Amino acid sequence: MLNIKKKINNMNLIRFRFWFQIVAFALIVYGGYIGLDLGDKLPTFACVFNGEGTGGKCYVGMLQHDLKHPFETFIGYGGFAFLISLAMFAVWFWVLNKAWCGFVCPLGTMQDWLTTLREKLKIRFSEYSWASRGKIKSIKYILLILLLIIPVMISNSVLGLPKLPNGLSMPFCDICPGRMLIPAFTGNFNQFYIDFTSKTDLVMTLLGMMILGIFLVGAFVKKRFFCYFCPMAALQYIFSKPALLKLYKDGSKCTKCGDCYRACDMDILEIADDVTSKNLVTEDCTLCLKCIAACPEDGCLEANFAGKTIFESTKEGFILRMAMNNQKESHE
Amino acid sequence: MSNTSHEIESPNEKQNRHKAMEAVKLLNTLREDFKSPILSMEYFYDLFERVYCKHESLHEGKTKIGTMCIQIPSEIIYALDGVPIRLCNGFYTDDEIGSDFMPQKACPLVKATVGQFASGNFTDKPDIVFSPTTCDQKTKAGATIESFGYKIYDVDFPRTKESEASREYWRRSVKQFAVELSKFQGKKLTKTNLEQAIKKIGYAQSLYHKISEFRKHEFVPILGLDVFLITNAFFFDKINNWIEATEKLVNELEQRVRNKISVSGKVSPRIVYTGSPPIFPNYKIPQIIEESDAIIVADETCSSNRMFNDMVAVDEWNIYDMMDSISDKYLKGCTCPIFTKNDDRIRRIIQLVKTYKADGVVYQAFAGCTVYEMEQRSVLEAMEKAGIPILYLESDYSPSQGGQLSTRVEAFIESLKTRRRNKK
Repeated sequence: MLNIKKKINNMNLIRFRFWFQIVAFALIVYGGYIGLDLGDKLPTFACVFNGEGTGGKCYVGMLQHDLKHPFETFIGYGGFAFLISLAMFAVWFWVLNKAWCGFVCPLGTMQDWLTTLREKLKIRFSEYSWASRGKIKSIKYILLILLLIIPVMISNSVLGLPKLPNGLSMPFCDICPGRMLIPAFTGNFNQFYIDFTSKTDLVMTLLGMMILGIFLVGAFVKKRFFCYFCPMAALQYIFSKPALLKLYKDGSKCTKCGDCYRACDMDILEIADDVTSKNLVTEDCTLCLKCIAACPEDGCLEANFAGKTIFESTKEGFILRMAMNNQKESHE
Repeated sequence: MSNTSHEIESPNEKQNRHKAMEAVKLLNTLREDFKSPILSMEYFYDLFERVYCKHESLHEGKTKIGTMCIQIPSEIIYALDGVPIRLCNGFYTDDEIGSDFMPQKACPLVKATVGQFASGNFTDKPDIVFSPTTCDQKTKAGATIESFGYKIYDVDFPRTKESEASREYWRRSVKQFAVELSKFQGKKLTKTNLEQAIKKIGYAQSLYHKISEFRKHEFVPILGLDVFLITNAFFFDKINNWIEATEKLVNELEQRVRNKISVSGKVSPRIVYTGSPPIFPNYKIPQIIEESDAIIVADETCSSNRMFNDMVAVDEWNIYDMMDSISDKYLKGCTCPIFTKNDDRIRRIIQLVKTYKADGVVYQAFAGCTVYEMEQRSVLEAMEKAGIPILYLESDYSPSQGGQLSTRVEAFIESLKTRRRNKK
């Protein structure tokens, strides 16, 4: 038992995660071909536009669809069904917590591939200043509120405002780069279009294509560029507290060396500077666990599943991962 | 009686003779006065004897890069084919020479460093000196040393470490340092040479961590004094030799732990040592502690733990990220008292007491080391709050105050023993 624990703590997380992400990507993007169907309440971007290939469907897409009904439908059975859907989403989410982002999300994985490409080309990544970093935090909540309100406003007149056109029924899907990119992996390029049929469609599809471009360039220069703005992350965070998988920190063991912060793709300052909180799953955390792998202090950071430590920072593991364990070549 | 010709001793010869006396006195104590000596320590005793008694040069033909503090990244120096020589000095002989150039109440460590430069008497004379602007005295000492005709390069160091600005500022300083050194050496910093240097130093650090691990045991296999000597050797030794000797030592300690061979007694109180750095041969306080039946199990000083504890962690093994992570290592994890706040240092001391199951803390400040003297209050308060006994001592390099200090240390250690008995 101790041996297994040591093996896990000594693992090469980068490699493990790379392969885990590939498997998850395959299941989500191609799973449908082998009959996999995880339902339509998934807390990750399993794109509904991916047709037969998809191994499940994204709840954010579903949520917009569910909300596009007159208020009356939510009274009684309709409302009950809506709550059941939401609960199922929460249950899925509670298993992995934010690790859905760091280990499963196909859009996240694609961004990581772009990061690897940039790294191979020896191009430095960009960073936000701390001030901008703080400011952009709220954007994902604004997007979430919009994607919740717009479908409601199609079927209802809110505060006496006129109803919105039907073309806005899935406003976030219109601008989500996953709609174009994920089907493209199954050879379906039909989502790369600009729709001139109505003004609404024109604006939304145009916006979508622009955001796709920004996504590709952004993710190349900035690690996990899109995740900073992701409304799925905002929705998830509401349910994060009771989740089973956790990132815990023992602040008394922290030297604030900042290794974890530097490893963090989401530039989360708290991971290094907060020495009082125990639960370090913050709103932008993707639970990629890179911080644990980069921490040289024994037992300072740990991934915890339902009260059990499954992976924790150790000096030995750190030294192995940094390849500092053996020094044969001479420096004379 | 024949007429023997008398040669008058030159000032440098006199300095060397005095320094050799200081060195040999300590080395003899280390070799002979303690129980169950460690065989592989002989390499280190011999090294110090060669350098400080016989004045042997270790790095002939190599470019020697002098550093005035731990903040100058050795990784970059090794990558650019230099040998880092840390010039922090512990000799009373040099302290006295330096007194002519510094205020009377200045820190003995800085005085000794300046003194050695004033004498120009080095076994491995630095070809260029990089001086980070850490404490006031070291910052200002740079100009004094320059006036003796040395090539000094100031490396800007921030005095806060929490802010974004200070992090950026220091990263730029380190880059500038690398550029200057690269020019001086006529060699380019590459991904390969920097990566190799980082991993080499990382490996050396991992050996130190192994030694520390042994000190957590109930039977402590190595003296704190010996550990100070080992880490001190890293200031100037050939890194490969140091690694080889330390590997041997680690193996020997492993056996000693298995055989429960201890250098301390069963009831010897376990001490965490903090404050101004003990630098060879000024091991005055650690020596008094370990001669009074206590054992130093860990320390929080820049000549030992602080130099080895935090390691460079690279996310993307390209120059840009290696440079950033080197910079961060020397700033973010540092618990030097020159920084505005000292919460990190307090947390670190408490953590060391916990993990090394220490009974008390000894806090030494050099008379004249203002920053350590100033932090004394807050550290003492925090220790009191945490229920950790602490002794605060002020000392300097002079050989004369031994009696008064040992009385205080002995009383403290006795009180720790009583405390432990009462607990049982």
